[in-house]
Amino acid sequence: MPLGYFSLVLHAHLPFVRHPEYPEFLEEDWLFEAITEVYLPLIFIFQNLHEAGASPRLAMNISPPLCEMLADKLLEERYTRHLENLISLAKKELNRTDREAVEFYDVARMYVESLTASLNLWNNRYQRNLVNAFRDLQEKGVLEIITCGATHGFLPLVSTHEARRAQIEVAVTNYKKHFGRQPRGIWLPECAYEPGIEDLLKDAGIEYFISDTHAILYGDPRPRYGVHAPVVCPNGTAVFARDVETSQQVWSAEIGYPGNDLYREFYRDIGWDAPLEYLRPHLHEDGARRHLGLKYYRITGKDVPQQQKQPYMPELAREKVAENAMHFIGERIKQARQLRETFEGHPPLVVSPYDAELFGHWWYEGPQFIDFFFRKLHWDQSEIEAITPGDFLDSGLPIQIQQPTASSWGENGYYKVWLNEDNAWMYPYQHDAERRMTALANRCRVLSPDDPKLETRLLNQMARELLLAQSSDWAFQIYQGTTVQYSTSRFRSHIHRFDLLAKMLEGSNAAAGVSLGAEQLELLAEIESRDNIFQEIEYRVYCT
Amino acid sequence: MSDFDSKKDLFEEEMPIVFGLDDVVSSGEMIKNVEVSAAVALDAAEDVSPVFKELASVELPELPKENRARLQMQTPNRLFFYWSMKSNPFQTLRRAFGTPDSYTLVARLVDLKRNVEAIYPIEAEGTWWFNVDSDSRYQAEIGFYAPNRPYVRVMFSNTIDTPRKRPSSRVATSADWKISARVFAEVLDISGFKQDAFEVALAGDRPQEIQAETHRAFAKFVEGNDSDFAGIASDELRYALMLIASGLQIEHLRYRIDASLFALLEASVAKLSAERAAAALKEHFDINAEDIYEHEETGEQVIGASLVNFPRRLKRKRSVSGYNPVSSFR
Repeated sequence: MPLGYFSLVLHAHLPFVRHPEYPEFLEEDWLFEAITEVYLPLIFIFQNLHEAGASPRLAMNISPPLCEMLADKLLEERYTRHLENLISLAKKELNRTDREAVEFYDVARMYVESLTASLNLWNNRYQRNLVNAFRDLQEKGVLEIITCGATHGFLPLVSTHEARRAQIEVAVTNYKKHFGRQPRGIWLPECAYEPGIEDLLKDAGIEYFISDTHAILYGDPRPRYGVHAPVVCPNGTAVFARDVETSQQVWSAEIGYPGNDLYREFYRDIGWDAPLEYLRPHLHEDGARRHLGLKYYRITGKDVPQQQKQPYMPELAREKVAENAMHFIGERIKQARQLRETFEGHPPLVVSPYDAELFGHWWYEGPQFIDFFFRKLHWDQSEIEAITPGDFLDSGLPIQIQQPTASSWGENGYYKVWLNEDNAWMYPYQHDAERRMTALANRCRVLSPDDPKLETRLLNQMARELLLAQSSDWAFQIYQGTTVQYSTSRFRSHIHRFDLLAKMLEGSNAAAGVSLGAEQLELLAEIESRDNIFQEIEYRVYCT
Repeated sequence: MSDFDSKKDLFEEEMPIVFGLDDVVSSGEMIKNVEVSAAVALDAAEDVSPVFKELASVELPELPKENRARLQMQTPNRLFFYWSMKSNPFQTLRRAFGTPDSYTLVARLVDLKRNVEAIYPIEAEGTWWFNVDSDSRYQAEIGFYAPNRPYVRVMFSNTIDTPRKRPSSRVATSADWKISARVFAEVLDISGFKQDAFEVALAGDRPQEIQAETHRAFAKFVEGNDSDFAGIASDELRYALMLIASGLQIEHLRYRIDASLFALLEASVAKLSAERAAAALKEHFDINAEDIYEHEETGEQVIGASLVNFPRRLKRKRSVSGYNPVSSFR
């Protein structure tokens, strides 16, 4: 038995952003940037680690909206174009830096090489299908892929039992579609929990969920091993809570590794540094500046003004990231030793959940950190063993029964980020739609699932619109004050579309069935084609 | 919680460039451009088909006239309530009781655990934020109130359980999971929850004694009697004493402590001071002023997301008998 266990849990999620109605759309870049900077590198690293015999083992949530976007043909084509455009810019940069900014030449060359490699991986090795690549990693025993709320809905702020259940059941069905099996665990959106949610999880066959630290530390009765062992709710669902120490070491903007002076500076991007005319061929049709992903500077120092940042030096950053990975493992050994002493010999489990997008997008060297971490963990020590929450449950170690307390991992630990003076206006609309969805689903519950009737199409699309409106991302962005207009518009438009569809259904005679005019049919078809998430959806999930 | 497109605030200076200064933009422009781009996309719908126009609309539908009364928790000390009514409530009242002249439409918040209530005059439709107690159960109602007349309930909301804000005092009964206060304080400390570790260690395995001592300290502090704060948890009383002793003004405690305790303190505000709180802590718990922690409302900022929850920290640790913090965790 090792000294202690370590469970890395990555949460990969982006809201469903897909705008076929426009030839290009700024917010689709969120996905494209994440594919290039996060998902492709992580998949590549995990595969290499596995092939090298390093036995990496971790849990990863790939949220249902992310799965749906990664499997979408339109976004696949647009991403290919996006990446080719970046390569063309990087090649232009290689020439320019060679001629007139030689101090940036090595970095320009790094981008040409890494982006070209990314395109090769995307087109050839993974055949533009990253869901399959993740699935393959699960089959090989590298990943334990877990699910999330269907659209990352903040469950304690969903008003009806049926709508909460739909967030879970639609997610599980979608997981089965993409990964061909039942998920063992779930990342509760925003780690938001309130007592009772575990019953929905158990009904959906989910064995465990990830929570914030105080869900267990403030749970009842007192947890014998704090957050360094899971607990099980009285209904048998297990809970794994976040370790604070590892969160701070990797994530803190104040003291975390990513803030090191040698690492790449996120906020100096060629999309804002270069002359507009030079960039124009690589921008969208509107010619607006945006982040393009080529960044030439290192952080240099916490208080160094942007104009005084020094050139990025990839080799120095690589040395530092290896050092940080070694330090991280050393700290885990110390932590395990200390915990084991406090626990009188019981082996501790440290659960470290992070947003996956930290690794590669916000922290450029993050994927290298994970690479070094697993290599050193495997070859340079034997005291800490990487496992998944599922592995722990299979270990047979006894688990304390406890009722966790309401919590989230957001600011101050509760629901303030998603319910405050700026975004409280959303909830009466969302809650009305939740009640209306169930009322209309109940009205039509007798339809056969294969019934091609308009009622089925309308109800299924209403379910999609409601789920999309419930994404916690909109309330979060509004609170953050970033992309407020887009987030507000998205919420409003899904409620608007839900209402349009509901009125078509409510305006019909239940006995005679729905009859729509040409314009209404066109409207329905257009909404279906735009918000095409969850093609497998079955509206009866909303029935009482 | 990935704030994937959150690229503002951290880039306040004018940016230098590799090329030349003419093209420099500020972060403000950057964010504006992001927003304009989305707006342009939506406005572009002007010249297209009716279907496109319809779907470009981001107008919220009018909420139908319905009876709604929904309570949601924001924090253990704050609830959000929204309500609306399908028909004029005064007409209903008139039909039932004749003249409604002396009645006022109110929101009534009932603490179902402690069996106390508060009423607030309201309109027929609106929203309200309630300050409440942690570790309790609430329901809101809409009704008619008049002095010396029966209260008339029109509708009621869902119930909300506010969580405990600190560790449970209950220890598992099974020998496998039983834990002493001293070891549990170590567990909390090692988990980064130093303030809670301090409190658990302070209370030790003799909660009744520490509760009685807390009540004595608090009674002296507010110059009141035990009965004034009988329903308030003793750890919440100590927490308030600590906050006040650390120099926080009473008003700054509004959303940090239970509503009933805040009301009590607010009523005695003239008599309260940091010095008096520190003296009470010294006399009853032997806590020195320099050992009093500084409450940190928010945790550290994390990279690429909003403020992730980190535990409150002690400014300075103090050894409580039998408990020595073990971690080097900062």
